[in-house]
Amino acid sequence: MFENRTIGLALTVPAALFAAALFILPVGILLSEAFKGDNGFSLMAYVDFFSSPRNQTVFFRTLKLAGLVAVVSAVVGYAAAFCIVSLPAKSRGRMFGLVTLPLMISPVARTYAWLVILGRTGFVNSMLVNMGITDTPFRILFTETAVFIGLLQLFMPLMIISLVSAMENMPRDAIPAARILGANWFQVFTKVILPLTREGLVVGGTLVFTGSMTAYITPAILGGSKVLMLETLLYQRVTVANDFVAASVIAMILIVMAFSANVLLKQIATARRTRV
Amino acid sequence: MSDFVTLADLTLAYGPTVAVDRLNLSIAQGELIALLGPSGCGKTTTMRAIAGLLPPKSGTITIDGRDVTRLAPAKREVGLVFQSYALFPHLSVYDNVAFGLRLRREPDLDTKVRGGLATVGLADFAARLPADLSGGQQQRVALARSLVMQPKVLLLDEPLSNLDARLRLEMRMELQRVQQETGVTMIFVTHDQAEAMALADRIVLMKDGAIEQIGSPEQIYTAPETGFAADFVGFETILRQDEGGALAWRPGAVVLGSGPHNGTVRGASFAGERREYVLDTPLGVVKADTPVDVPAMKIGQTVAFDLPRDRAVRLARA
Amino acid sequence: MNRVATWAILGLTLTFLIGPFLIIVIAGLSAGDSLAFPPQGISLKWYIKVFTVESFQASFAMSMFLAIFGTLAALLLGIPAAYGMARYRVPGAEFVRLIVSSPIIVPGIIVGLALLRYLVIPTGVSIALALFLAHTALILPYAVRVVSGSLDNLRVDMEEAALLLGCSRMGAFWRVVLPNIRGGVLAAFILGFVTSFNQVPVSLFLSGPGVRTLPIDMIAYMEINYDPSVAALSALLAVMSVGIVFAAEKFLGFSRYV
Repeated sequence: MFENRTIGLALTVPAALFAAALFILPVGILLSEAFKGDNGFSLMAYVDFFSSPRNQTVFFRTLKLAGLVAVVSAVVGYAAAFCIVSLPAKSRGRMFGLVTLPLMISPVARTYAWLVILGRTGFVNSMLVNMGITDTPFRILFTETAVFIGLLQLFMPLMIISLVSAMENMPRDAIPAARILGANWFQVFTKVILPLTREGLVVGGTLVFTGSMTAYITPAILGGSKVLMLETLLYQRVTVANDFVAASVIAMILIVMAFSANVLLKQIATARRTRV
Repeated sequence: MSDFVTLADLTLAYGPTVAVDRLNLSIAQGELIALLGPSGCGKTTTMRAIAGLLPPKSGTITIDGRDVTRLAPAKREVGLVFQSYALFPHLSVYDNVAFGLRLRREPDLDTKVRGGLATVGLADFAARLPADLSGGQQQRVALARSLVMQPKVLLLDEPLSNLDARLRLEMRMELQRVQQETGVTMIFVTHDQAEAMALADRIVLMKDGAIEQIGSPEQIYTAPETGFAADFVGFETILRQDEGGALAWRPGAVVLGSGPHNGTVRGASFAGERREYVLDTPLGVVKADTPVDVPAMKIGQTVAFDLPRDRAVRLARA
Repeated sequence: MNRVATWAILGLTLTFLIGPFLIIVIAGLSAGDSLAFPPQGISLKWYIKVFTVESFQASFAMSMFLAIFGTLAALLLGIPAAYGMARYRVPGAEFVRLIVSSPIIVPGIIVGLALLRYLVIPTGVSIALALFLAHTALILPYAVRVVSGSLDNLRVDMEEAALLLGCSRMGAFWRVVLPNIRGGVLAAFILGFVTSFNQVPVSLFLSGPGVRTLPIDMIAYMEINYDPSVAALSALLAVMSVGIVFAAEKFLGFSRYV
């Protein structure tokens, strides 16, 4: 550690100034717009926003979908992570790579694939028609189901990664020990695996939840204007109605959610460090 | 010339924490000095200040008559062999040794690098990367890298601590040989009193950021001046005296089995050629040992003992 | 659990996560004119066509430019910042770290909108420049994080050794620090490149006539056309990303750094 403060500041200040000028300042101004009333400070914009039934629908839908994606990711994630951890080292690494691979691919490409699969002439409908199950194709696109499937595929890898690292840190003999003591698999899961991987579950859960909350591409492509979520609503309010106040309110909601998730994560991270 | 390197009223601090307080020390040219003490005594801090890696809070450092207190490390003509060796992992052994010479635009570079490697017995390892060398070899590269710069003072941080017993002996001889050949003034830091005794011309014993005692290994070993120094060199029984000062005995000097005092055996352990005992006595804790052929005593047993005056050292303070 | 169950679960998960890519690769191979699966006949025409669509060419160039130069700019700001925080007692270092990492917390769409409204419109700065600045700020946290990780693994005494051998502070950085964090810097570049190239929300509001990133352009294209070209392009992009990451892993051990 070098003592010279001037050099230290000279090295760090440009990056901090850059981020402050291009991020914090403009976003701060945007957020402040919703608090401007006729006589100074006002919360009317928030009252207005939440009194619209459509906005309420979108708000609760966003929470519901994000929550559902997090829960289903966790259920599937536990099964997948447990399988990955039980593999021998070499295939474990490979499998881990395959699971993380989608994260590096453009979300547009990832979401577009579901258009091909779920569309009127897509994979699912072709199969159903060919098998004679239905004559008229199902409408799956532009439903909450489509958005849910898209988000699940987009964010589940984050959950699996978190759970795999949590399970790798579990004491190796915990599960055999519990089995020897007579626990069945359900008890092993609730009494051993779950408590020992709770941190990984929380980390993965927050990543998936905030990711789904703030996703734009998936609801835009798979939900369209029928299944709006907060980000697509924001885009629509600005481009269609030039309504920057509503945009500011939505921005605040998203930032507060993302920020609290981040704080939560950091606390878990530090709690973990101090305990060891 | 006994003041080739002088530290005058040197005070060193990390932020608000004072690590070394008004330290005074003179070192002669060609001397091999050990800064000895437990961790946190300020020995490494002092060495870093001499190297210029830690600006002093106050006081001065001179080397060969030149005040270097405010000079950059590079301008001090000081070499430092780090405890971790700090070799550059991306450079070959040759390039590591040539690093400083290149910066200096040394005309005679190749000869000096080859010479430096030969001095430490690594002439055949020039093309290797540090990661391909053993710990002992890495340390000799670090030594060569400093020596080729022909520093006025060579600093070594715990030079033997990362080596196993056999390499330790080898390196000890190596350092003495290098010192003989080059006549460079060496200051090394260690927490191991045996190491300091074996290597140094003079030992600077430090405690809590101050010098406890300076002297030749013989002086420190036979005539410690303080309780701390006495304990450090094996006078394990230290008794405060009424008239001030204290007396100290080595375990072997305590007579067990007869004498005017009585104590209870609290601890007993077998150590090869001796049996070691810890006694609880009205005078305080007494540590003693006996040859193995004396029958062992049991814990809880009461035993008579004597502390002969003629085998004690007198300490200025406990 | 037995092997059959293990592989069944993993097979299903992977089918769900990776299967869709196989489907777009195949859908792009269609000989027909509208998007369908299974495709109507097999041909390479859509894979060839995407290279001839002018707007794709322009937006691909734009995305490439942003990904390369945005990442370079982020590294130019981020490496000194990471170094400063790792080696110097910077007053308020935690605050600096928070500011620099804020772009991760704030959803991109909001940043894009804010920049459009308070930078582009009032000052008349070009949208291309605003995009560049936004992407730089977006990549900055990744650059700082990955480079910081590399610096934490590099012992400080190596720099001190260089100082004692005659280097200046700056010289020690160039000669000793930079060569030893090269892997981290490269990993940060790849991560930044992929992040920027795939980024949509920041660029949503920052697009104008002739200035569009590729993902935005693809979304715009598919709103009007229902042909397999976007499938072909998506497949190509997926292959490109996977190829980059695969090469990075093979030659660099990419996953060690991120």
